Formats: sequence, C-alpha cells, structure tokens
Amino acid sequence: MSVAQPLSRLLPRRRTVLRSLFALTVTAFTGGALAHVATTRPAGAGPEPGGGFDEMYRGRHIQGRPAPGEGFDVRVDGRPLHLMRRSGGGYLTPVDHYQSYATPLAATRAAVDELGSAQLALGAHHGVRP
Amino acid sequence: MVYVRKNQRDLTAAERRKFVGAVLELKRSGRYDDFVRTHVRYYSADGDDDLRVAHMAPSFLPWHRQYLLEFERALRSVDPTVTVPYWDWTRDNTPAASLWGEDFMGGNGRRGDHQVMTGPFAYDRGDWPITVGVTESLFLTRDFGNPANPIDLPTARELSRATAETVYDSAPWDSTSRTGFRNALEGWTRAAGNARWRNHNRVHRWVGGLMLGGASVNDPVFWLHHSFIDLVWSRWQRKNPKAAYLPATPPPPGSAQYRRVVARNEPMPPFEVTPAQVADHHRIYRYA
Repeated sequence: MSVAQPLSRLLPRRRTVLRSLFALTVTAFTGGALAHVATTRPAGAGPEPGGGFDEMYRGRHIQGRPAPGEGFDVRVDGRPLHLMRRSGGGYLTPVDHYQSYATPLAATRAAVDELGSAQLALGAHHGVRP
Repeated sequence: MVYVRKNQRDLTAAERRKFVGAVLELKRSGRYDDFVRTHVRYYSADGDDDLRVAHMAPSFLPWHRQYLLEFERALRSVDPTVTVPYWDWTRDNTPAASLWGEDFMGGNGRRGDHQVMTGPFAYDRGDWPITVGVTESLFLTRDFGNPANPIDLPTARELSRATAETVYDSAPWDSTSRTGFRNALEGWTRAAGNARWRNHNRVHRWVGGLMLGGASVNDPVFWLHHSFIDLVWSRWQRKNPKAAYLPATPPPPGSAQYRRVVARNEPMPPFEVTPAQVADHHRIYRYA
C-alpha cells in the first residue's frame, strides 16, 4: 500500500495535520521512495520510537503516530480510530470502551480483534457516526 | 404514583411484548438514537482533561440513574404501563436465560460477523438498523462470553466485594480509585487478564459486540443491565444510610480533579439535576 492511498481517504480537517506528520517522516530520509519503506512496515514489525507503529495486523493496516499536544493519531485501513487516555497510563478506544491497554498499539490491535471485518465509520465524532 | 421495576425473569409474556413494543416505537421515532448519542457524547476518559460525568467518575451511578429515568419517561409516554426491567446477571448468567428469548432481547450473534439473527432487534426484521455507530455496520452484534478469550458473567461473590464497601467513593475520583463502592461496582482495576474485568465493565465484555463499545446503548439489554446496577446502588444506599455521595464539595483549584468531576450539589450535564437530587428515588420508582 502506498502512502498516498490512506491519505486520500482522510477527513479534510485531518489532512493538514497528517500531511505535516508524514512530511516529518519524509524529511528524515533522502527521498520519497525511502519514506515509503519507512511507513510501510511488515506485519509484526512492532512499535516505532515514540510509540508510533505501522503494520499489518490480522489483515488490517494499522498506523499510529504521536499527534500535536499529548494526543495520538491512530488509523485502521486509513480510517481514524479515536484513542482515549486512562489516568495513570493506558489507552482505550470506542470499539472496546470498558477496559484499557498499556500502549496505543495494544489498544489498536484489541480494537481490530473486535472489529472483525467491519470498517470504522468516517466522519465520526468521539469515534461514533453522528 | 410510584411504579415498580421488575426482574426481567418475572415478566409475563404480555409485559415482555409491551416493553419491546415501546422500545421499537422510540427507535422508529428517532428518540432512541438521541439516547445513544447522549451516552457517546458524555463518555470522557480520565486520562484527558474534560469534565467526566458518566464513567470513570463518582457520578457514574447518579448520572446513569437520571439517564435511565429519562429513557423510562420516554417509554412511558409511548405506553404508561411500561417500566425498565432489570437483569440480575449473577443469577441469569447463561445464553439459555429467558432474557435472550426470541420475544425479548433475541440471542447471541452468529459466528463470523457476530450479527444477531433472532428476536425483535435482528437486522432482518427491519426495525433495528444501527444508525449511531462506531463502524459502518448496520446490524446489532453480540459475542457472548468472548470465545476468543472466554469469560463468565460476574458472580454474586464478585458483586459482594463491591457492596461490602462502606464509603461511596474515594480520591482520585477516577478509574484508579482503590476503595469505595462506585469504582468497585463500575469495575476498573489494574489487574491483568480476565481478572481486570469486574462487575459493570465485565457485563459489557460478556455480552460483547456493540455492548463493548462507546455506542453500547444500541443494544437494548444496556437498559436492563443498568437497571440492575441502579438496584444494587439503591440497596447499598439502604444498607449504608450515612454513606452519602462523595465528593461533597468540588476539588479545589490547583488539584488534579479540579473541574473534572461533579460534587454532591453540582449539576450533571446534560441533566440539570445534582447527585444529591437523585439520591432518593423512592417517590418515583422502586424495585421488586
């Protein structure tokens, strides 16, 4: 999957934020092709520095990047997954709302476990179709 | 006139039919989905800085008491004989319980996509499309007992660990509160594996599917679950008459929970009532 593909599916208001995030990745390397390698890691590649991740998990493309502030930007097949933080550490998502996980990656994988073949809703507020 | 909330296992066939009929009418008119939206909107987690009223907070119990009251009011505007029954999950703790009958909540989801195929809320019946959801899926889902990592419903013994608490809640007034009735009943822990699931939270996990998510209200069993949570709180209040809602006063400026939790005499958005005002429900309803 190319970098452009998930970007094209992003919400307009998220696009600017994400472009700048991917731009950071691009500048860390010498060219676009290398940036592609950096953001498309094989399944089981595990967490990146800073808690970011980009992998295939149970057939779904999951990506996570630290976002401005203390937030975290998570996608499943390019679609935003709202990540909430728990007091004292830990993360939860609107798919799996009654427990928390130690890392954004663990919370995202748990959400995929529950999603099965379902696609996240686009245009979601608090992670839910309005 | 004080009305009675009954154990769902004691409802007559006519009472089951009337409850389902009123719920379906609220769905048809769009009012049901307004309740789903309210629950989604007021779920804030305690690692973020917002005011928390519905979960991970002392007002978990009074907020849901008022929420159920408003839902019940809506049901009774459709059929004045209907009340919200309760599901005692320490007793009716298997998929074979009459709760999951074809004339009531319907059964488990099927293998694969976990779609509920039986009962009034099955998608194919045409009365229960999911319009406010985390995913694009339009059907109700359940996954009883989470076969991928099997779990049972909370036992009476597990519940008694919560009801043995003698203080309503404790600092830091969130999901990490180590003592107090509220968090023991809500069910947040630091444990690993299936032990991390307690009481209220564990029931959401056991039903699975949409009940596990932010839009859990899409499963009508949500109301029966929370009716029982409210009953447990009501009985705990009677047993501990001096254990009022805490915190009594708002956390002071500069403290970690300043403006993040509701004190005894502060309103619980979006409702205008305070925890103190819903502490006694006996002039409105009682439990059989």
